[in-house]
Amino acid sequence: MIGDTILKLDKVTKVYPNGTVANRDINMEFEKGEIHSIVGENGAGKSTLMKMIFGIESPSSGTITYKGQEVHFQSSLDAIKAGIGMVHQHFMLINSFSIVDNIILGDEPTSGAFIDRKEATRITQEVSDKYNFELDVTAKVSSLSVAKKQKVEILKTLYRNAELIILDEPTSVLTPQETEKLFVQLRQFKEQGHTILFISHKLEEVKAISDRISVIRNGVSKGTYRNEELTMEQLTNLIIGRDLESDLEQFKTHEDFNNEKAMIVNDLYMERNGKPALNKISFAVKKGEILGIAGVEGNGQLDLIRCITGLEKTAYTGKITICGKDTTGMNIKGRRDLGMAYIPEDRMGDGIAGPLPISDNMISTYYTRDDVNKGMFMDNKAIDRISDELIETFAVKAENNKVSIDSLSGGNIQKVVVAREYNTHPKFMIAEQPTHGIDIGSAEFVHHKLIELRNEGVGILLVSADLNEVMDLSDRIIVLFDGEIAGYFPNARTVTDQQLGMYMLGASHQTEEEIGGALND
Amino acid sequence: MTEKKAKSVNLSITNPRVFEVIKMVISILIAFAITFVILCLISKNPVNALVTILTGPLTKKRYIGSVIESFIPYAFSGLAAGVLFKSGAFNLGGEGIFIISGISVAAVACNALTTSHMLHPVLCILAAALTGCILMIIPSFLKAKFGTNEMVVSLMLNSIYSGVAMFITRKYLLTNTTSTIGTKDYLATAKIGYIYEPLRISPCLLLLIAATIIMYLVMFKSRLGYQIRLAGTNPKFAEYSGISAFKLAIVTAMIAGTLCGIGASCQLLTQTSFYQPDKSLVGIGFSGMLLSMLGRNNPIGIVVAAFLIKYLEQGTSVLYFVDRAIPSEIVAIVEGIVILLISSQYFLRGFREKKLLKEGLEKDAK
Repeated sequence: MIGDTILKLDKVTKVYPNGTVANRDINMEFEKGEIHSIVGENGAGKSTLMKMIFGIESPSSGTITYKGQEVHFQSSLDAIKAGIGMVHQHFMLINSFSIVDNIILGDEPTSGAFIDRKEATRITQEVSDKYNFELDVTAKVSSLSVAKKQKVEILKTLYRNAELIILDEPTSVLTPQETEKLFVQLRQFKEQGHTILFISHKLEEVKAISDRISVIRNGVSKGTYRNEELTMEQLTNLIIGRDLESDLEQFKTHEDFNNEKAMIVNDLYMERNGKPALNKISFAVKKGEILGIAGVEGNGQLDLIRCITGLEKTAYTGKITICGKDTTGMNIKGRRDLGMAYIPEDRMGDGIAGPLPISDNMISTYYTRDDVNKGMFMDNKAIDRISDELIETFAVKAENNKVSIDSLSGGNIQKVVVAREYNTHPKFMIAEQPTHGIDIGSAEFVHHKLIELRNEGVGILLVSADLNEVMDLSDRIIVLFDGEIAGYFPNARTVTDQQLGMYMLGASHQTEEEIGGALND
Repeated sequence: MTEKKAKSVNLSITNPRVFEVIKMVISILIAFAITFVILCLISKNPVNALVTILTGPLTKKRYIGSVIESFIPYAFSGLAAGVLFKSGAFNLGGEGIFIISGISVAAVACNALTTSHMLHPVLCILAAALTGCILMIIPSFLKAKFGTNEMVVSLMLNSIYSGVAMFITRKYLLTNTTSTIGTKDYLATAKIGYIYEPLRISPCLLLLIAATIIMYLVMFKSRLGYQIRLAGTNPKFAEYSGISAFKLAIVTAMIAGTLCGIGASCQLLTQTSFYQPDKSLVGIGFSGMLLSMLGRNNPIGIVVAAFLIKYLEQGTSVLYFVDRAIPSEIVAIVEGIVILLISSQYFLRGFREKKLLKEGLEKDAK
C-alpha cells in the first residue's frame, strides 16, 4: 500500500485577483500512508496550496490528481466527499454545541426527519475510541482546552472518512508538551493508513515527525526530500535561501532609564460571562525594556490588551497608568495622546483599511498632528512625503504610496503598520503578535525596529503566542494562564521553553511574592 | 525619484481606477445596445429613435432647461446618500427627510415672515435644512448608541415622516380649493426666480455647484473626509485609530440631512406653487441612493450621474412627442441595466483577472 501515489500536483499555479502569484508551477506527489511536511516561510504559499487541494481555492492553471483521477473541486464539500480532511489553523467549531453536534454537523445520521442523536453519539464515540482520543463526546466545545478542540477538529475529518488529512500549522496553538502528544497520535494515524499533510514553519517539529519534506519558497517548489537526506542547516537554507537570523541580544544596548515605568497595571480584574477573564493582574513595563507575555492563546491576552489600549474602557476594575497618568475612563484616543502606540494582532481587521492607499493607512493614528495638516485641510503633499519616507525607511515593497494597501503581502502590510506606530513617536508600545504570519525577512526587520525603539527608551509590551519570539526579544517575561499571571521571570535569558511550557499549561504556579516582581522590579 | 514613480500611471485594466471607468463605459454601451434591441421591436425607425433619445434634449432650449432645473434636487439627494454610504452608514432615510423638510419649506413659504424677495427663499431653505439636519440624526444616533439596525429604522421613519407630513398638511396648511391634499399656495415672495430664464438657470444651480465643491473638499481634503473614509472602509480600524464612531455618525447624518433639506427647497420653490406631501417630492430620496451608486459615492460623479439620468429622461420624453408608440418609461431600462452592471462585483472581473494573471507571471519571470 505504501508507495502508491494518492495525490499529485502538476504545474499548479495560483494568481490572486490582486496580482499576487501565490504558487507557481508546483509539482508534488504525496504517497499513501506517509507523513509529508510542507515547509516554507510565512507567506511562501503553503496555505494557498492547501486551500487548492482542499477545494477552497481553484488553481489558475495546472492539474490536481487525486487517487489517479484529475479533480476539480468546486468547494471544500467536494474535497471532503473525496476523502480529504483539513484542520485549519483557526478552529472551525461552534462553541455552544457539544462535540457530537460539531462533528456530525452537515453529515447527520437521521431517523425519519430527525437527527438520530443516539446513533450520532455512538458513532462519534466509536471513532474517538478507535483512535484513542480520550474525549467525552457529549461535552460542550466551549469547556475544552485548545488541544482538545484541535482533537475535535481532527475527529471531524475522521468521522467523514478522511484518508488524507491536512493539518495547517497545528502546533502553533500548542505547548511543547501538547505537541509531543499530537505527534504520537499522528504516527498512529499513519499506521492505520492515513496520509498526513503537515504544514509548519517550525523546523524542529518538521524534522521530528516527517517521512518526507517538501519545501516552498516564494511560491515555487524547491523539491521534495526524504527526512533523513536533509540536515537542519540544509533545510533552513532551502527555505530562506540563507542562514538563520543571528542572536538578537547583541543589538540591545543597556542604557539606564532610572527604572522609570512607561506603563503600570495595578490589580486588574475583568469578568466575561460571569467568570473572571482577568484576575489579580499587576505588572509594569519599564522604559527601555521589552516585557514579554507568554501564554497559550485565549488565556486572557486579548482582554488584557483591550483594557490597556482603552478599546475596553469600562468593563474592568483596577488601575492602568500610562506615562504616569491614570487612564481610568480614557478611551483609546486619550491613551494614544499620552504616548501609547499599538501594533494589533489582527492586522487586516484592526490595523489597516484594506482598499485605501498606503498613504491613508500611514497616518491614521496621528492624522490630527500639525505636520500632516495645513489649516482647515489635510496637507496631502506632506502626507505623501511622510509616506514615501516611511516606505523607504521600513523597506516596504510597493510601487508608490497610492496603491491600495491590501495589494501588498502580509509582511509589507505589517511593515506599514509598524512604520505608522513608530512615527507616532511613542513612549509605550504594545506589540501584539508583531510577526504573526509574515515572512522571515519582514519579521527580522520588525524585530530590529522593536529593539531600536527599546534602546531609545520606549517601554514595549510584547504579547506573542510564538514562544521563540518572546524568549528572543524580551528582557523580562510574564506567563499568563487562565487570566492570571502564573509565572514571572526577571531574566528572559535564563528561561527554557520547557519551563515556560509548564506555566503555560497551568502545571506550575508561582507564589504571589515571586509574581509581585513583575510590578516592583 | 518618488515623484517620477507617482507620475507613471498604469493605464491598463489592472489599475482599479481604470477598471472602474472601463466597466462604467461598457455598462452604458451594453445598456444602450439592449435599449436599441427593444426599440427595434417597438419602433419603425429604431435608429432615429435612439438618436432622438441621445440628442433630443439639445434640440430646444426649453428641453435642456428642463434638464437643468429638474436634476438639481436629485443631485442634492445623491450627495446626501453619498456621504452616508461613504461613511459606512446604511441610512436610507433621505426619502422621508425630503418629504418632511418639504413641510418646513411650505410652512415658511406660506407665511408672510418677510416681504423681501431675497430673504424669504433663504428662510425657507434654512428651515428645511435645519429640519433635515436634525431629523436625519435619529437613525444614526440609535445605531451608534443602542446598536439598532439603521436601515430598518430609517425605512420606518420614511413612512412615519410621510404620515406626519400628511397630518400637518391636513391640520394646518390645507388649501380649500383643490381636491388633492396640498398646502396653500406659497406667497409670491418665496418663489425662487431665474437668473437666465430660457435655460431655467436659477440660484439653485449655484447652490448645487457650491455644495458639490464643498462636499468634494470635505471628502478628499478635510480631516472629516479622512475620518469618513476610514470608518466607511473599516470601522474597527477607525476605532483602533482613535476616531469616535459616535461623533462621526452624527456629523455625517447632519450633513446628509442638510443636503436633503436644501434639495427639497430647490425642488419646491422652483417647480411647484404649493406642496403636496404625497406627490411633490416622492421618490427623490430613493433616487439619490441609486445616483450615489452610479457616481461611486464621489460628489462630482454623483452630480454628473444625476445630470445624465435627467438628460436621458428628457430624451425619452422628447421621443414620446415624436413617436407615441414608445413610452418614456424606456429610460428605466437604461438606468436599470447600468446600475445592475456597475454594482455587479463579477462583471468583467474574469477578464481583469486573466490580465492580472498574465501580468503577475510576467513580473514574476523577471
